[in-house]
Amino acid sequence: MKTGKELKPGTVIRIDNDPWLVQKAEFTKSGRNSAIMKTKLKNLLTGYKTETVYSADDKLDDVILDRKEATLSFISGDSYTFMDTSDYTMYELNAEDIEAVLPFVEEGMTDVCEAVFFEDRLVSVELPTTIVRVVDYTEGSARGDTSGKVMKPAKLANGTELQVADFIEIGDKIEIDTREGGSYKGRAK
Amino acid sequence: MKASWDIFCTVVDNFGDVGVTFRLARQLVAEHGMEVRLWVDDLSVFARLCPGADAQAVQQWHDGVSVCFWAKDWQPAEPADVVIEAFACHLPAAYIDAMKARNPRPLWLNLEYLSAEEWVTGCHGLPSLQSSGIQKFFFFPGFRTSTGGLLREAGLIERRQAFEQNPAAQQAFLASLGICPQADAEQGPPRLISLFAYEHAGLGSWLDCLAFDDRKTHLLVPEGRILGDLERWLGVDALKAGDLNQRNALTIQVLPFVRQEDYDRLLWCCAFNVVRGEDSFVRAQWAGRPLIWHIYEQDDDAHWAKLDAFLELYLAGLSTEAGQALTEVWRHWNAGQTMTQSWNTLEKHRAELAAHAERWCLEQALQDDLTTALVTFYRNWI
Repeated sequence: MKTGKELKPGTVIRIDNDPWLVQKAEFTKSGRNSAIMKTKLKNLLTGYKTETVYSADDKLDDVILDRKEATLSFISGDSYTFMDTSDYTMYELNAEDIEAVLPFVEEGMTDVCEAVFFEDRLVSVELPTTIVRVVDYTEGSARGDTSGKVMKPAKLANGTELQVADFIEIGDKIEIDTREGGSYKGRAK
Repeated sequence: MKASWDIFCTVVDNFGDVGVTFRLARQLVAEHGMEVRLWVDDLSVFARLCPGADAQAVQQWHDGVSVCFWAKDWQPAEPADVVIEAFACHLPAAYIDAMKARNPRPLWLNLEYLSAEEWVTGCHGLPSLQSSGIQKFFFFPGFRTSTGGLLREAGLIERRQAFEQNPAAQQAFLASLGICPQADAEQGPPRLISLFAYEHAGLGSWLDCLAFDDRKTHLLVPEGRILGDLERWLGVDALKAGDLNQRNALTIQVLPFVRQEDYDRLLWCCAFNVVRGEDSFVRAQWAGRPLIWHIYEQDDDAHWAKLDAFLELYLAGLSTEAGQALTEVWRHWNAGQTMTQSWNTLEKHRAELAAHAERWCLEQALQDDLTTALVTFYRNWI
């Protein structure tokens, strides 16, 4: 059993006997300390997709999934091919299947991801909680701040934009927390 | 088409839950001819809002609404055509089973909290697929066109405007509540302000401003959580309805809890209103008067984003100076800070804020009201 609050991309819930994959989940505080989760679901049997909302404390039947380690092999257009690191099996997903982690998927990445299987079918991929990426572009330090509290925009190689500390420069490696949409954690050592 | 509606309300704290749901229920009956049962789990709170109500009755009728006690020990009841769980309260499991067994199945709606935040527009009207196979829909009130709108009875603005044009009616209404503002030979009648707020550490500084103002103020305070702060400032014990205290230019009068129509009229009589939560906040906007909104404080300071989101909408059309002054007052009030400087600055923009409040009210009144939006949603659904 999962609550609405626990839904995240890659979770599969059972609704009226059909398995539904959570492709995207956005948590929002509603009124008086309650919260809602807006999700994008895909029916794994029919392929039908829909947007839904859950209260944070709604109870949902989750489906136990198989998980294996996988790495990105290559990207071809909207198609992303991952390889099972234990037996070298290749699996293909389209961009929509990995929408939640897409901003941080880039050619040549070596992160060991978690491939999520439903009945031997790859349905989603989850990135590690912390990943390292190179800053492709950012303006120079505006204020010379070294505290890390002043932020500025930066772009990764795949075009994803995020806020980084003011002292970060082009070519610097940064750590990113991939949860809740992804956020800058600090300069990679 | 006379559909049946079940509205479920859990009283979490204060009067907002039952205030909103009773308003909705009455409007569904009066303006849309619906058959409505309002299930309330704490009738003692309801009885304060609705004088004459019986806090012990299992079922009673008020303004055409069947008000039912929602007992912990749920007794089977046939589900209505439309089922509303207000503010994400949890329906009895047996009732959900009965909904599932019903043919045709009812329309199940979760009526959410009011928020001006932009994300609401992306969630309003979305389904919520439940494990049981029954679909629920989320319905969000709001200020933007792509939301469910606000509760507003038909003819409300016209009734308010007619009341404003009728000093005798205003005087008679105030007198019915025991309010007799003492006119000053030079200034005429004092300014009326209503105060319905949560506890506020900085209240004393605001009362000081009013007490030492050149103009006289008559502050009207319905019984509630703010009385403790008032007692401390006044140096008195156990304030109760009817008590009248004067400090320099400020007269403070405690009022009994009044029924919803009377609270509206009270807001209409005042030049400025301090309101809280959701229901009184909306009513103060329909009053077309400047206001302070004491928002419900949330964990993780989530309420600040909601306050700012409303201000962002509300301030449009105000001068920068007046907008800043109002923002400062609201932020200081909600942070429990000293009000002296921000209130005195706000006073300089009194006329502009009054005109703006009326304009905002009329703009919002152009949208469909929440009850009509719910009925439309149901008609489209079937």
